[in-house]
Amino acid sequence: MKLQQKLAILADAAKYDASCASSGSNNKNSKNGKGVGSTSSGMGICHSYTPDGRCISLLKILLTNFCIYECSYCINRASSPVERARFTVDEVVNLTIDFYKRNYIEGLFLSSGIIQSSDYTMEQMVSVARELRKTHDFRGYIHLKTIPDASPELLRMAGLYADRLSINVELPSKQSLALYAPEKNPATIKKSMSVLRDHIDESKESRKKSKIIATSATQPMTRHKKTSKFIYSPAGQSTQMIVGADQSSDAKILTLSNNLYNKYQMRRVYYSAFSPIPHSAQQLPAQSPPLIREHRLYQADWLLRFYGFGVNEITASSTVINNEGQGGMLDLDIDPKLAWALRHLEFFPVNVNTATREMLLRVPGIGAIGANKIIKSRRFKRLRVSDIAKCGLSIKKIEPFIEASDANPACRLLEDENLKQYFIKKESAQMALF
Amino acid sequence: MIAIQVNTLPEWRRQARELLMRGVTPNDVTWESQQHSLFVDDEKSSIVAKPIVHPQLRIPQAFFSLAESVACFRDDRKWSLLYSVAWRLLFEDKALLSMVIDKQVSQLLAMQKAVSRDKHKMAAFVRFKSVNIVDAENDMPTTYEHYVAWFEPEHFIVREKLPFFRKRFSNMCWSILTPDLCAHWNREELTFTTGIAKPPNIDDDLERLWLTYYKNIFNPARLKVKAMQSEMPKKYWKNLPEAVLIKSLVSESSKQSDAMLKAPSVPDKNYIMKSQFVKQQQEKLRGKRKEMN
Repeated sequence: MKLQQKLAILADAAKYDASCASSGSNNKNSKNGKGVGSTSSGMGICHSYTPDGRCISLLKILLTNFCIYECSYCINRASSPVERARFTVDEVVNLTIDFYKRNYIEGLFLSSGIIQSSDYTMEQMVSVARELRKTHDFRGYIHLKTIPDASPELLRMAGLYADRLSINVELPSKQSLALYAPEKNPATIKKSMSVLRDHIDESKESRKKSKIIATSATQPMTRHKKTSKFIYSPAGQSTQMIVGADQSSDAKILTLSNNLYNKYQMRRVYYSAFSPIPHSAQQLPAQSPPLIREHRLYQADWLLRFYGFGVNEITASSTVINNEGQGGMLDLDIDPKLAWALRHLEFFPVNVNTATREMLLRVPGIGAIGANKIIKSRRFKRLRVSDIAKCGLSIKKIEPFIEASDANPACRLLEDENLKQYFIKKESAQMALF
Repeated sequence: MIAIQVNTLPEWRRQARELLMRGVTPNDVTWESQQHSLFVDDEKSSIVAKPIVHPQLRIPQAFFSLAESVACFRDDRKWSLLYSVAWRLLFEDKALLSMVIDKQVSQLLAMQKAVSRDKHKMAAFVRFKSVNIVDAENDMPTTYEHYVAWFEPEHFIVREKLPFFRKRFSNMCWSILTPDLCAHWNREELTFTTGIAKPPNIDDDLERLWLTYYKNIFNPARLKVKAMQSEMPKKYWKNLPEAVLIKSLVSESSKQSDAMLKAPSVPDKNYIMKSQFVKQQQEKLRGKRKEMN
């Protein structure tokens, strides 16, 4: 089979993985090396966008889409009639470097179907990463999708070459996993996640120490200790779950995410709206992917991580019931922060001149950047409603929830019984984007 | 009224310093770039003739880091804006830069943001094409790969962004050609030539693979064209090889995903047998797991 045909098959097979992040690794570049590549601790670079609105940051491919597993939701499951292909290690290595040299990508995101055994497959993936790093001195980004059943030795090796590792939880509950992916074992997944976490923690600790040694070093000799740094998956680990293939509620999903963030220090939990696949297993919904639900979950996820919301605040009272009569769902019409605000009108109006940062962040329409701008500006003058717009914020959304130094007639909207409708009209104009 | 011509930040800084020391108010100066200059010498002497009233100027460092970005903005209004803000920092309010809702400060911040976005997009959208160069200087001619990119930045950012490419591609020979200037790296040093008007005509076979990738990583069931365009505005498309595919991918996508949703489930005999076999294996596994629990 020609390389081009393999690439077509194995890129197509990889598109159901949402992550393409290349951010938050360690700083490295090719100045003192032989090959190409650089990564930074800051934001990643998206080199292109496809018409599905997703970015292309990494060359996201499968090593092979042959697979001995039968996960109902997966296009590559053993019984699927999809066309199969397999890259050699060298083919992946060369493609990565050729694409990288043309500035198409930040690096490689390698995943694979399971062939022969978990260890055999993982070994192949690790050799791609090793070849890139050792033979070609490649210093770009490498994300390896780790196979949860792989041996601890392989898990350890993977992190020595990769910038990020990930293990997919796939589905939000044990029951769903047993139903749709019987070969996958939730206990093994968790165990491997904690193995990764331990290595990542150890690595962070060693880098911190070596920094202290390096900065306190007065004699050049002590600098040598810097080389004892243990670098393991510097961009941490992430995971993904499929939304809408099973019956799990949003409350269930967000509770799981919260646990994953706390327990394994996940950098990200990705939500992937179940996308209809050709020749799908019959027990799965043949419908357009629930993109708005996916979007709401990301918003809720954001509230958990950056806005100081507890998972119960977002989901406990989200009694919204979906078409199948299921509770614990996020409101699809409005974003979860606005939904929270509408349930807690007693919290408002918030005074923009006196409120703490935490309180400002609870106001619908005020994000982290907006809150910082408000706090910075109010040191110099008492803010009027019109000043909020000058902070680059959308006044229409914020207006009903705030108090400023001048009269704010929009506050009266809070007493309006149809407040939600007022916002839905605004949102529906925005949702046309999707 | 004094008319000042500058092209670079150091020039602006030198001129602004002279003017500020002599207490020339922002309303008494106009700034433009040099190609329009007519009376440079006259103006200079008229400034120098004025008495110095503020020999000590203290401008916070934060202003200069902001000015470095703003100087890349492709519009001459930046110079007078910088002068007004410098004036106000000196004589009105030391903390002015924190007033993000001040009109002039927010204009400067908007320029900074536009420049920084453009720099980010340059790192993303520069596309190199590989060219084989024959090195005939030795008795045995050798060939090596030279990577050439054509990019049209919105602002004057090329010089500012070069360190990124040097670090990333320090072991490659490359040229980045733009209408403003061209930069060349031979693995040892950076050289510059003047800008060119049109992209060079280069074919790189590998682009076919890149287009194959772009086409196949796209998920037709999730069409979100506006989301794509907000991050990859149309103005960049003409220099992105993959952009030629966008139109057809969009128009085929709904056809494709509709066909997929409506397709009758699996009539193939082999497929059914295979599926049944796999199902049996799964049941066995489920049984085993139950026993284990």
